[in-house]
Amino acid sequence: MAAPFPPPPGPRFVLRGTQSPVNTLHFCPASQALGNPLLFSGSQSGLVHIWSLQTRRTVAALNGHKGQGVTWLKTLPQGHQLLSQGRDLRLCLWDLAEGRNTIMDTVQLDSVGFCKSSVLARGQLCWMLAVPGKGSDEVQILEMPSKTSVCTLKPEADAKPGMPMCLGLWQTNSSPRPLLLAGYEDGSVTLWDILERKVCSRIACHEEPVMGLDFDSQKAKGVSGSAGKVLAVWSLDGQQSLQVYKTHELTNPGIAEVTIRPDHKILATAGWDHRIRVFHWRTMKPLAVLAFHSASVYCVAFATDGLLAAGSKDQRISIWSLYPCS
Amino acid sequence: MAVFDTPEEAFGVLRPVCVQLTKVQTVENVEHLQTQLQAVGDAALQELQQYVLFPLRFALKTPGPKRERLIQSVVECLTFVLSSTCVREQELLQELFSELSACLYSPSSQKPAAVSEELKLAVIQGLSTLMHSAYRDIILSFYEPPILPRLGFAVSLLLGLAEQEKSKQIKIAALQCLQVLLLQCDCQDHPRPMFELEQQQHLGDLLASFLPGISTALTRVLTGDFKQGHSIVVSSLKVFYKTVGFIMADEQLTRMPKARAKPAVEHRVAALMIHRETDWVKSTGDKLTILIKKIIECVSVHPHWKARLELVELVEVLLLKCSQSLVECTGSLLKVLVGLVNDESPEVRAQCNTVLRRFAEQKVVVGSRALADILSESLHALATSLPRLMNTQDDQGKFSTLSLLLGYLKLLGPKVHVILNSVAHVQRLSRALVQVLELEVADVKMVEERRWNSDSLSASPEASDARPWSRVQRRYFHCFTDERVFLLLRQICQLLGYYGDLYLLVDHFMELYHASVVYRKQAAMILNELVIGAAGLDIEDIHNKRTSIGPEELREIVKSILEEYTSQENWYLITCIEAEEGEEMTMKQHGLQAITSGAHTCQVVPFPALSKPSPTICSMNSNIWQICIQLEGIGQFAYALGKDFRLLLMSALYPVLEKAGDQTLLISQVATSTMVDICHACGYDSVQHLINENSDYLVNGISLNLRHLALHPHTPKVLEVMLRNSDASLLPLVADVVQDVLATLDQFYDKRAASFVSVLHALLAALVHWFPDADSTGQLQQSDLEEGRQTPAACEASTTAEDIEQFVLSYLKEKDVAEGNVSDLETEEEEQSSTPKVDENDTLPDVEPPLPVHIQIAKDVMERCIHLASDKNLKIRLKILDVLGLCVVVLQFHKNQLLPLAHRAWPSLVHRLTSDDPLAVLRAFKVLQTLGSRCGDFLRSRFCKDVLPKLASSLTSQAPISARAGPVYSHTLAFKLQLAVLQGLGPLCESLDLGEGDLNKVADACLIYLSTKQPVKLQEAARSVFLHLMKVDPDSTWLVLHELCCPVQQFTAPHPSLHPVQLQAATEQQNPFATNVLYLLQKLQ
Repeated sequence: MAAPFPPPPGPRFVLRGTQSPVNTLHFCPASQALGNPLLFSGSQSGLVHIWSLQTRRTVAALNGHKGQGVTWLKTLPQGHQLLSQGRDLRLCLWDLAEGRNTIMDTVQLDSVGFCKSSVLARGQLCWMLAVPGKGSDEVQILEMPSKTSVCTLKPEADAKPGMPMCLGLWQTNSSPRPLLLAGYEDGSVTLWDILERKVCSRIACHEEPVMGLDFDSQKAKGVSGSAGKVLAVWSLDGQQSLQVYKTHELTNPGIAEVTIRPDHKILATAGWDHRIRVFHWRTMKPLAVLAFHSASVYCVAFATDGLLAAGSKDQRISIWSLYPCS
Repeated sequence: MAVFDTPEEAFGVLRPVCVQLTKVQTVENVEHLQTQLQAVGDAALQELQQYVLFPLRFALKTPGPKRERLIQSVVECLTFVLSSTCVREQELLQELFSELSACLYSPSSQKPAAVSEELKLAVIQGLSTLMHSAYRDIILSFYEPPILPRLGFAVSLLLGLAEQEKSKQIKIAALQCLQVLLLQCDCQDHPRPMFELEQQQHLGDLLASFLPGISTALTRVLTGDFKQGHSIVVSSLKVFYKTVGFIMADEQLTRMPKARAKPAVEHRVAALMIHRETDWVKSTGDKLTILIKKIIECVSVHPHWKARLELVELVEVLLLKCSQSLVECTGSLLKVLVGLVNDESPEVRAQCNTVLRRFAEQKVVVGSRALADILSESLHALATSLPRLMNTQDDQGKFSTLSLLLGYLKLLGPKVHVILNSVAHVQRLSRALVQVLELEVADVKMVEERRWNSDSLSASPEASDARPWSRVQRRYFHCFTDERVFLLLRQICQLLGYYGDLYLLVDHFMELYHASVVYRKQAAMILNELVIGAAGLDIEDIHNKRTSIGPEELREIVKSILEEYTSQENWYLITCIEAEEGEEMTMKQHGLQAITSGAHTCQVVPFPALSKPSPTICSMNSNIWQICIQLEGIGQFAYALGKDFRLLLMSALYPVLEKAGDQTLLISQVATSTMVDICHACGYDSVQHLINENSDYLVNGISLNLRHLALHPHTPKVLEVMLRNSDASLLPLVADVVQDVLATLDQFYDKRAASFVSVLHALLAALVHWFPDADSTGQLQQSDLEEGRQTPAACEASTTAEDIEQFVLSYLKEKDVAEGNVSDLETEEEEQSSTPKVDENDTLPDVEPPLPVHIQIAKDVMERCIHLASDKNLKIRLKILDVLGLCVVVLQFHKNQLLPLAHRAWPSLVHRLTSDDPLAVLRAFKVLQTLGSRCGDFLRSRFCKDVLPKLASSLTSQAPISARAGPVYSHTLAFKLQLAVLQGLGPLCESLDLGEGDLNKVADACLIYLSTKQPVKLQEAARSVFLHLMKVDPDSTWLVLHELCCPVQQFTAPHPSLHPVQLQAATEQQNPFATNVLYLLQKLQ
């Protein structure tokens, strides 16, 4: 009579109360949380919720995007500062130190697309920001906090890749040259050299727009998901050229976001089919399909301690603890 | 009366008397002298001391036989002189001392002379006074080796008196005198001579010679007659400990020179001298230990509290002064203290506590390894023998044994930490505790007691100001019945938690908890107390030294215990036999492991009905207790952590709430009180507040558990409890979880519908409760309408010809309309009503506004109800009908949603009304009433077509039965059905606004029930039908009633132009309808 298999695991807990679909999630790094781990969530209603993972309740709700959806959240390395990108064409820098929840600075954006920005720390107090640019296919690079424009990356006239859909700034440990990975509407992933403003390499790995990508600079490998059924893993060789390494066919199309866990062991995808999929990063072996949400999953995020959070259109954020970090 | 202040005057007065006394020694003369002396001032007397003393001493010294009476009065007089003067000369002191002691000397025997008791008393007092009146310097030089023989004589004399005299007075006097003699006097009027260390040492050496004699004699006194008065015991004890404490004082002994000083005295005396070197100390200590043990044994059970109090004093003095020299008996001394901590006399208790506290302050135990070792050894020994003692002793014995244990722990204080590092200690202790705490689980009643009403949590917070354990359930233990013993055990555990290493202890008892079902309950009880103790609440810390663990650590520990308690295999145990529609079956599967691994030895009560190994009453009782103890534990954890416990609510609240809905009365009671404890600890006003504030945690648990309903069959219950105790502010959360519930229901509608239906019921009830505004406005409108209808009737007081004309005209017009000649009046109305609709459409383009959340929920639920209304299970059908009614109430102002649903629900409802179990008919009729009152027009034709004929015919066919039936009939279902239909029909007719034909059908069916042959209740109900019918159509009702019974012979028309009317109904008194009809007609007018 007893079930022969233990039931599939459920989420560790679920955060409710955004009252609006959850567009983006970001864990506050442990170094800044000091015993009280936090999770930031951006909702379609324009609010940024700060969740305490200890009490599992909202600590505060930041309202800075005039009711327009928040699409991207990221904390800055220099502590207690949060960047939020909203569809009101603004990027807000929040000061969260000592319980303050005020906007310190804003950057006006020009693109109405869904492209998420990307940030790269360069030294103690300055950082580089990649945002979708004025022209529909442009990416703008800004030096922050001075907001001076470094350059605008515009694809060559005949490439016509469409709008940038996702961005990833990074640099190798050896050289200080900042690089940008960008996924485009036509399904291609492009590697830009920012200082030289040129395309290093470009591969067309998807047939549908690229929805999300993540890059592992240690293994020089990255992964991208698209609106189609394919999950593509590509690698970067010494000549800085991208090559498709492996593809993985999914049952249902549509990946909203791909995230590699900070320890580079596993990766998770947010599926439009309401499911979160977990893969082994090295072998791309599927490990788990987490079914909990009752609507599309929009975002997945990992904490440094391995906790996985997923936000969905069904207004819930599910927190999972799986395959503990070694 | 001191008249003679100068020596001269005094001399003048005293001289003749003294001379007289010297010449003739008679009692009269002595008394004369004493009278004169009383008139002499102290200063004067001091001058004349020698002179006055001379005749007295002469009288004593005169050789030859003397009369006792004379000696006595001489001694008394001497005492009087000495009491008001001082002895300033060494010689005088020595001589007086010898002379006084000689009074009691009998050369013939070793014993004191056989003299009268009065004389003995007089001499003893004389000696005492003499020693008091001596100057300090003189005293010092008095206590020199040469005096030893004489002093020894006096001492042995006094001891002999104390031991052998019959008179209590003499005994006490002798003991007190001894005390004075040994320079340990503690009376107030003579300041105790303060000696320097050197002098003390010297005195000690001198007096050490007497120690053996004094101690043995006193021990004999103390252990001799059990019935002797407490004052003798008190005095003896005092002398004993003062003497021992002085001579064996560590302070003196440590300074003892190695080499023996050569005393400059003659050989005979020198032989009496004692040098207190190590060997002597050792051997004397050993001997004293034996004596002390004897004394303790005897006095610690002395019935009088003053004796025990003095014993405490003894312990204090000896432990403080002689802890090294008497190291052997520290154990027994401490045992006294520890045992008397819980003495029945408050004075003794208080004194014990102060002494213990003083020890702690001075670090007597903690500071000295030796003492701590002794204590820990005693503790170990006690723990070893504890199980045996617990089995053999009676409750009083157990009480004192455990008091002892508690006392040891208290005294050891921070040292407990060290002791518990020894595995042997921990194991002994835990084994003993576990054995003592074994519960009696053979009580059948506990399993039987069920909680039937699943109403709200009726926890009254006012009863809960007390600390958690004051409300701990009464439990029955194998080993004892006295509640005080249990209290002691709790204190012991708390103390362990307070002083011990909590991690280590928790680990140990957790292991026990896992090890076997036999230990599980006890281990849980102990764990609960450990945590309370560790929090340092209500602990009497005599050491004022906390090695407490931080709140963070404590929280982590509590968290781990909590996880264990609420884990699947420890929380879901079988507590009842009957499976609740197969729901509990899965639960049993899990509980089974717990049962089968149990090793209960109580009688097995098998239940043949179940094929698998069935749980016994014992094991179920045991399970119930275990859950209760764990629940209590959660309450205690909350108490221990205070507001910190809020962080644990996310894992603790759900299981507790689950148990609050348990079927077993005891469990649900305990769970409820646990919630109250949590409220208090975390600062919530009430259970409602607690649930309301933390429903996000609950919802989380509920929604996750719903996904695995088979494993968590109680989840719907938790939701139910939560819904009952929360308010509208939770609607978003509730909406979220309701989606889960409905999804799960759709998945399991065939298996688990029952529990879900009750959730739906709770949900809808909550919605009705949370959004009452809709309900109240609805009623308001209705009552407005009623009033509006009544007013014109009231105005028709007098009728004029114009009125009649008007009436006829309007009647004709209405008849015209009814026949289909529609005038343009109505189209006008239609146009008017359609205009605002256009406006609405303008403002709201084709997108419908989103429905309020609660309406959406009600809509979803009602949809499920339509499906479930034809469930096979009657209970479910009944419940679903209730839910349906509530849905209608919630949806009443959203006709766009309600009407389509009502349309779909109708066939099923009709089916319930016409061809189902009477119970279902009853409920269905109630739903019909609600539905009728909310959407009357919509139902009218359906009702008339589908339901009314059936109802009418059933009423008609039942009427003859009920008319004939006896008094028992009112308890039958048929009666209830009749009653319900009759009661409901009236309002229904009114709200549905039935037409004339249908009204007549109703009236026809109900008329029979106006007969007085019917049961009274049915008559009343029938009357109510007609009262309602009057409102809808007064005229035809009037006519119908008159046709039945006409009280008036002939009606005169309101206007002379009309003919009088006569109705042909029977008027005679035998008419069974007369009473009711007359009543109704009266109402009608």
